[in-house]
Amino acid sequence: MTVPLSALRACFEGAVPATIATCAADGTPNVAKLSHVHFVDDRHVALSYQFFNKTRENLLDRRRATVEVIDPSSAALYHLHLEYLRTETEGPLFEYMKARLAAIASHTGMSKVFRLLGADLFRVLRVEAMPGDALLQPSPPADLLAGLRACVVALARCTDLAQLLEVTLTGLAQHWDVHHAMLLMLDPDQRRLYTVASRGYPESGVGSEVRVGEGIVGVAAGARTPIRIGYVVQEYRYSQATRRHFADSADGGALETEIPFPGLADAGSQLAVPLLNGDRLLGVLYVESPVEERFTYQDEDAFVVLASHLALSIDGLSRAADLAFELHPVCFPASVGPHVPATLPEARSTAASGVETSGGPIQIRHFPHDHSLFVDNEYLIKGVAGAICWKLLREHAESGRADFTNRELRLDTSLRLPEVTDNLDARLILLQRRLAERCPLLAIEKTGRGRFRLIVSRPLQLVEVSA
Amino acid sequence: MPQMVTAPLSSDCPLLDQARVVFLLGPVSISVASHDAAGVPSLARAFGCRVAEDRREVAVLVPTRTAEALLRDLAAGAPIAVVFSRPKTHETLQLKAPAARLLPLGPTDRQRMRGSGSALAAELIALGYSAAFSHALVAPSREDAVAVAFSPILLFDQTPGPRAGRRLEPQP
Repeated sequence: MTVPLSALRACFEGAVPATIATCAADGTPNVAKLSHVHFVDDRHVALSYQFFNKTRENLLDRRRATVEVIDPSSAALYHLHLEYLRTETEGPLFEYMKARLAAIASHTGMSKVFRLLGADLFRVLRVEAMPGDALLQPSPPADLLAGLRACVVALARCTDLAQLLEVTLTGLAQHWDVHHAMLLMLDPDQRRLYTVASRGYPESGVGSEVRVGEGIVGVAAGARTPIRIGYVVQEYRYSQATRRHFADSADGGALETEIPFPGLADAGSQLAVPLLNGDRLLGVLYVESPVEERFTYQDEDAFVVLASHLALSIDGLSRAADLAFELHPVCFPASVGPHVPATLPEARSTAASGVETSGGPIQIRHFPHDHSLFVDNEYLIKGVAGAICWKLLREHAESGRADFTNRELRLDTSLRLPEVTDNLDARLILLQRRLAERCPLLAIEKTGRGRFRLIVSRPLQLVEVSA
Repeated sequence: MPQMVTAPLSSDCPLLDQARVVFLLGPVSISVASHDAAGVPSLARAFGCRVAEDRREVAVLVPTRTAEALLRDLAAGAPIAVVFSRPKTHETLQLKAPAARLLPLGPTDRQRMRGSGSALAAELIALGYSAAFSHALVAPSREDAVAVAFSPILLFDQTPGPRAGRRLEPQP
């Protein structure tokens, strides 16, 4: 009996070892255990090349193998008749297999033993279901397709980035029972991702960063491939990835380490899916669970589709904003809050927005070299978001202005905003959330499309710290 | 198809020492491989084995329903490789021989197969596999089978690790 390869993807979860038979040039057969077989698509699988052993010698020589895989729930046996095509030593397939191998190695206590040298790619010539007494398959617990439909409908109704992020995280919990999730955006320097929204953690971790290529999120971003791990695995934990700093921080590229990365200390299951529009990477959707083997191939399918819709929606809204900006460049004039007293000279000054002031002045220090801001000695934010915040505070102090537009931020060359415009929205969301968490006396409130208001509820003392 | 290269025994001692025999008879997963005239590998599971008194011949018990291609290849005189792997320890041995004989089951073989299936299932359950999965996997141990007898001339340690693939010599 022949069956499509995709129908037996549960066999490729690595839960039950596979068996491979090959044949040497001299006709000697060889049979060995395999830690896992990787599903590539309906016509291809890949095997991990970890050691140069007899199996590999035979594969390179005769290019044929017969592999037995076992369904981990039904115990059904399948024989895959394979033809070796090539070995990949970099790229998405390699990175995905490396991450999964590390997970299986860690799970089986053999981290020191397994190291991926290559991904051996095979064409599947035939799939043979072996006769036996396989158990009936239980039905899947969650209706992924219905959840996906609901999420996509909700995404289509969103009118800004903040809503997209919120709807995505809410949808994951509501429809898929996923309660630990975060969204990270790619920094324009292309070397790191910063957390812009999260759900299910004591601290949101908004503003924390991971380097592209490190940890499951960074590897998924770098290789532009989803990565799914079903066991606790040390190599792909964030704590380690986030502790490392960039090798050269001369360009201001030091990783944000003041804000701890959220995330479960010992996630049993992790799934990172890149947000891609075509080949362009926007960020990463990351979900995790304390339960091992929580996410299946079907979950991965659903999250890849969700991530794709999210990426398209982010780009769509960004293009709409650009269009509005091009067509109506003067429709969002910088408004001035006339009732707010303006009291502010240069370096040391105090600003009060009047009505709601209570308590003494709060000191906000700005370090121009990296635009980091400290509120009464507590770190708030840095980088582009820090520069934006400082500009708003200074304008507010100097002229009493409270209402601002995205447009003037885009036009302000001192902020050095990159050309990719969706970054501005993401930075404003980041700033807004950091303020809400760390400095409630300041707030940013959206007042309309492309407009927002700075709310200052205590007198401020702005201090520019010279290098 | 060229003939398999045979390795002469370096001594009069059998390749299997008593400890290895005990391992083969333990709670192990057994897979048997051969190939057809075109070199396409065939593969099947076995449940249980017996080892001759002098430790020079091994017979693995192969359910026929799931081993059509393998038994055809062996009957045609193709060489054989058999891997024994213990799930709990990953300890793995591979035996090879230039040919095998297919024989009807002996009087105690059915009992031996059932015992081997039960022992493997118990080991899997102890490792956290569900009872339903474990029993379904060893279900063929209750089916019609043949004894596949061979005299191993090559023995390999395939336990994952730095020594995996090492050829083992007879132990006096």
